[in-house]
Amino acid sequence: MSGDITTSLRIFFVGGLISFRALFNWLSPWIYIPSLLIAPIFQILLFAYIGRSAGIESDAFFVIGNAVQYSAIPCLFAMANTIAGERSTQTLGIVLSTPARRIPLFLGRSLPVVVNGFFVSMFSLVVGSLLLGVTIPRSAWLPLALVVAVAAMSCTGLGLTNAALGLRVRETAVLSNVLFGVLLIFCGVNVSLDALPDWMAAVGSWLPLTHAIEAARELAAGDTLGSVAGLIGREVGLGMLYGGVGLAALRWLEIEGRRSATLEVQ
Amino acid sequence: MSVIEARDLRRSYRTRTGLWKREKKVVEAVRGVSFAVEQGELFGLLGPNAAGKTTTIKMLITLLLPTSGSASVLGHDVVDDAREVRRHIGYVFGGDRGLYERLNALDNLRYFAELYGVPAREQKQRIGALLELVGLTGREKERTEGFSRGMRQRLHIARGLLHDPEVLFLDEPTIGIDPVGARELRATIGTLKGQGKTILLTTHYMFEADELCDRIAVIRAGELVAEGTPATLKQRVTGGHVMEVETFGMPESAVAAVRSLAGVSTAAVEERGQAQVLLVQVGPGAEVTSAVLGCLGGVNVGRVSSREPTLEDAYVELVSGQ
Ligand SMILES: Nc1ncnc2c1ncn2[C@@H]1O[C@H](COP(=O)(O)OP(=O)(O)OP(=O)(O)O)[C@@H](O)[C@H]1O
Ligand SMILES: [Mg+2]
Repeated sequence: MSGDITTSLRIFFVGGLISFRALFNWLSPWIYIPSLLIAPIFQILLFAYIGRSAGIESDAFFVIGNAVQYSAIPCLFAMANTIAGERSTQTLGIVLSTPARRIPLFLGRSLPVVVNGFFVSMFSLVVGSLLLGVTIPRSAWLPLALVVAVAAMSCTGLGLTNAALGLRVRETAVLSNVLFGVLLIFCGVNVSLDALPDWMAAVGSWLPLTHAIEAARELAAGDTLGSVAGLIGREVGLGMLYGGVGLAALRWLEIEGRRSATLEVQ
Repeated sequence: MSVIEARDLRRSYRTRTGLWKREKKVVEAVRGVSFAVEQGELFGLLGPNAAGKTTTIKMLITLLLPTSGSASVLGHDVVDDAREVRRHIGYVFGGDRGLYERLNALDNLRYFAELYGVPAREQKQRIGALLELVGLTGREKERTEGFSRGMRQRLHIARGLLHDPEVLFLDEPTIGIDPVGARELRATIGTLKGQGKTILLTTHYMFEADELCDRIAVIRAGELVAEGTPATLKQRVTGGHVMEVETFGMPESAVAAVRSLAGVSTAAVEERGQAQVLLVQVGPGAEVTSAVLGCLGGVNVGRVSSREPTLEDAYVELVSGQ
């Protein structure tokens, strides 16, 4: 039994990392740097200058909103690649014919995705702040890093659901792009929730990132970690909810795939 | 208890045609297949394309649920006890897909070693030994996207053996491997059998089946049509002999005419370079040479010879019509 636990832990940590390297095909510097390090800065600058010329919100508002939200790109795309990508490599059947426990098998792939999403957001936050001259109190950086990590985690939860869908419909980039757009509009990234129509704000409160972005802004404004604990809790809860839905969907797809040969397992 | 048992296995697929006017079609791929493979036995499953071999294997390795019937491996039911089955089986299929192209051979193997729970301290030694076994030592640090077809196939074989499984399912394992490599692989399969492993093998190479298999089942259109040792299967056509006629540009109508001759059990054509060789299975005691040549009228005929039947002849007779 303890052997089983060791195996599952290794599948989670070691296996997850190998799968990430195997299937996340943006890991070449020619793709990684433009898509994950330069593009978020463009997005931050675009919205910050729109804000300046319209005379709304502060630079800090846009830097934080967009830096945290941009983790959606690595989280959604990498998660979809590392799971639904098994279709193009035609390895799914081989993987599913092993006795590996499915939860560590799939969840392990999300850990490098979270770490990578965290890195992308933090990079954007630091570089965006420097470029626009936004000063964030020294003491706020550590709690900010925690919130950014939570945001990457909950967004990866959504990514897991997205990946499960992608395994079925075969086209993951379309789904990921649509979700990225939804998060950009509904999560209070560039337009605060109060300024959105009620129904949009209501949707936003059920999406990952919304609460993390709000918490990050409050931390940067000098609030303590304790005062945003409720927001962080909500963000964690949503991440677990979406992650749980994703894992359940993967489980269902495997059962359904064996029954109706829909996963083209070979 | 047999190591592999299939009891009246059936599997049908639902397929759809067309995007708008969807018509549903049911393909009955496997239609009531039963067999048993004993400990240490090498069992061959032979049959033409689309006969249902891969489908049968997929049910046995828990990737597909049977539509009806049941099967077990080492006493574990393939439906109710799938995880236990998966622990003890290795699965290798032919072809060049199913690798993580961005990873090198070593990482491909390491990943599956993790999934099978091979302890970390044993992995290095096991992977090294398997690379040696399949002749990939020295290439293990290269990304598999640059591997040739045969190298990919060898890597699949190493992967299937990582956890030292007691039961092996080999679906056309020598496809795409060069003659020397295939010979080595057959020797490897023989060694594995010598170690007491139970093996189910499919192949389209009859000499391979003849050389390796203790017992063979022939499947045609989803049903088993014969089962026995290679020797007993050959006996089904002995008593007679096989006449080979080398021809150039023979029409299909001539083959049909030959088939309908009295004393001829079956006739088939095999391409050999420029020539088409007509293989005629002649029943015991029948003398058909002049009648066969008569059917070939205006066709250009080369060498004519007669020989003892091979497993391939038995196979051709079993799977062609009747
Ligand atoms: N996923 C699927 N969906 C629909 N039909 C399928 C599917 N897989 C197999 N079939 C059909 O089932 C039948 C048996 O296929 P199978 O792959 O078992 O044949 P096989 O004996 O392995 O053939 P080959 O020698 O060509 O490998 C074929 O008619 C095939 O078209
Ligand atoms: Mg097949």
